[in-house]
Amino acid sequence: MTAPAHDFDADIIVVGAGPAGSCAAIAAARAGKSVVLVERGPFPGSKNMYGGVVYPRILDELIPSWWETMPVQRWVVKRSTMLLSDTGALNVDFRANAWGAPPYNGATAYRPDFDNWLANHAVEAGARLVCSTTVTGLLRDSTGRIQGVSTDRPDGDLRAPIVIACDGVNSFLAKESGLYPHTDASNFTLGVKETLALPKHVIDERFGVRDNQGVDIEILGGTSGVNGGGFIYTNLDTVALGVVLKLPKLAAQQKRPEQIIAELKRHPAVAPLIEGAEVKEYSAHVIPEAGLEMMPTMVADGMLVAGDAAALCLAAGIWLEGVNFAMASGMYAGQAAAEAITKNDVSSRGLSGYTDRLEKTFVLRDHKKLRKVPHLVLSDRVQHKYPAFVAGVVERVFRVDNPHPKPGVRRIVREERKKAGIGLLDLLRDGWTGMRGFG
Amino acid sequence: MTITVCIKWVLPNRDGDERFAGISLADQAALETGLRVAEALNESCTVITVGPAAAETSLRDALACGAHDVLRVDAPADTDSAETARALATYCEHSRLVVCGDYSSDRGSGSVPALVAARLGRGQALGLIDVQIVGETLSVVRRLDGGRRERLSVTGPAVLSVEGSVARLRRASLRATLSANDAIIDVVTNDASGAIRRTPEAAPLRPYRPRARVVPSPTGSSALDRVRQITDTSSSKGHGETVVLEPGDAANRILESLHTWGYVQES
Ligand SMILES: Cc1cc2nc3c(=O)[nH]c(=O)nc-3n(C[C@H](O)[C@H](O)[C@H](O)COP(=O)(O)OP(=O)(O)OC[C@H]3O[C@@H](n4cnc5c(N)ncnc54)[C@H](O)[C@@H]3O)c2cc1C
Repeated sequence: MTAPAHDFDADIIVVGAGPAGSCAAIAAARAGKSVVLVERGPFPGSKNMYGGVVYPRILDELIPSWWETMPVQRWVVKRSTMLLSDTGALNVDFRANAWGAPPYNGATAYRPDFDNWLANHAVEAGARLVCSTTVTGLLRDSTGRIQGVSTDRPDGDLRAPIVIACDGVNSFLAKESGLYPHTDASNFTLGVKETLALPKHVIDERFGVRDNQGVDIEILGGTSGVNGGGFIYTNLDTVALGVVLKLPKLAAQQKRPEQIIAELKRHPAVAPLIEGAEVKEYSAHVIPEAGLEMMPTMVADGMLVAGDAAALCLAAGIWLEGVNFAMASGMYAGQAAAEAITKNDVSSRGLSGYTDRLEKTFVLRDHKKLRKVPHLVLSDRVQHKYPAFVAGVVERVFRVDNPHPKPGVRRIVREERKKAGIGLLDLLRDGWTGMRGFG
Repeated sequence: MTITVCIKWVLPNRDGDERFAGISLADQAALETGLRVAEALNESCTVITVGPAAAETSLRDALACGAHDVLRVDAPADTDSAETARALATYCEHSRLVVCGDYSSDRGSGSVPALVAARLGRGQALGLIDVQIVGETLSVVRRLDGGRRERLSVTGPAVLSVEGSVARLRRASLRATLSANDAIIDVVTNDASGAIRRTPEAAPLRPYRPRARVVPSPTGSSALDRVRQITDTSSSKGHGETVVLEPGDAANRILESLHTWGYVQES
């Protein structure tokens, strides 16, 4: 590792030891730069929550054979999308047992385990991790150039020519640096989750899995009229059940999130899955939901922004992926920062390798492709009319109403569409947006 | 001559998660007291722990807070009190003052500081709720039973055991935290007396149920007399008894009585 230039404590300071921060630190430390990784929690992951599924393919690049050491609860072999009306449910299931063997696809994992494991890789790579330390601001020189961060510890200034902000959603570092000028509440959702304990064999039976196979269920509807969605993920002996709620709608409806979870738990399609479970944990966190439309500028002189801090979480209905986007963007930020130090150019031009990488890879490509999807998924029609419409159609298609003959599907669709109050033009428009959006 | 602080790194429970391990509030107060005394008397402050390698996290925290030296005596986390005290005493011999937490956050009974004091042949001021430095002397306040307090002056070499409220551990500076992360921790093996003994498994806890007291049948002539005889407490003799004995015999006598009266049971 090279010694940082004089006057500096390190080449690169990474703020936040979540998935983005740890991957940034691994990449930069592996490139031989001196890195300090600052985390406010007593250990990495201690303050972090999410739904529960990680898709770590991107780690192939940083931690080969990551699946051999990663602290996994279950390997996801079954993905379902559940469309809930008031009393009915349409379930679309896909099962791939091959996902339960190397090189795997996704896994459920607890954040205090996963983040800690990832941060240990950063420490092994040579990064210096300081926990229980909150970054409180940016240090600048007389010309305004970023020179490091201040922290809440005595003698707490830390100097480095590059700061990578991986401090999560609502990043105050991105805001302080002027990269993130406006915050619009409608771009955020509130995620709340209950971790429900059940014996392993009960989870295996109810979800149709065995050993360390797991299930990822994304839910549309079932959020008590507040725009959003839900999820159910299986851990070894707990089930994570949560809802994601659009903030302005939640405020307007004056409902408490725990009330909405309680209602979801009572839904006839959900209740049997979690019957008898004991609530182990309740947690909540904000999600940057609007994708490309809310992303800040990600590069400034001496500064990069990655992960949720850069609103890189992908929340598009059937996908709720943030950790993989955070890990990838963190890794690219770490690589670009290391290059800039080597070239001795930490200006935004010198750091532009970061955005180049984001543009060329899934990180921005997926966001660009799916840019219209988050708004579509959270729109009033999709939220309040389509679940009942689809459930109504399917219910009538499968209902045997003898002696009446089976009605034609076209007629059912027309009648149910009218019953749900969906105009034909709106349906066509949304279908078109969806087709283009999901590509 | 130094000020030595003894701390115990404790796992949150028997198969606990190391990420939640640490030292008790009382040990934190001991560390802060040791640092303050060392600063005031211009001495150096050494922090010792008897424990496994994972306990070095707490020693690094101590270094970051300003300890001059730290030492780990390598031993399993469940080393018993007598063995812990023996190991600690070996390395506290030359210190001016030994500061311990009143008790650790696991099954702490406060016996380690007492055993250290006994091994070093020093006085112990225990149950301290206040420690003030007055010149070269320490003015300390002890918590006594019944809400009473005792003020002591500590002048010579002594062992102090402090409660968690005595002082709040300072927040380490960022620079010190970073350098403590890289510090090499001195480790000694605990082989002075051969094998290391472990704390025996704790007996399973059960609700307190004193043994049933045998009450003779009442003998009064009327029903009222007989009821009075069983329910009247004014004539009960209770268990009060004053005896004068040597400490060892007294302890045995207390145990014997508690046993007879049903307060303790044969394990
Ligand atoms: C309810 C919910 C469900 C979700 N479900 C999933 C899912 O199933 N799968 C998925 O892939 N994603 C999911 N996500 C999204 C995912 O959690 C995030 O996208 C991801 O955690 C972002 O990682 P990050 O490293 O950018 O930020 P974070 O994970 O938020 O990490 C930020 C880190 O920075 C630290 N920090 C913050 N401020 C400071 C400071 N000032 N000083 C020092 N440290 C600081 C924090 O303590 C934290 O460790 C979910 C999110 C929520 C809220």
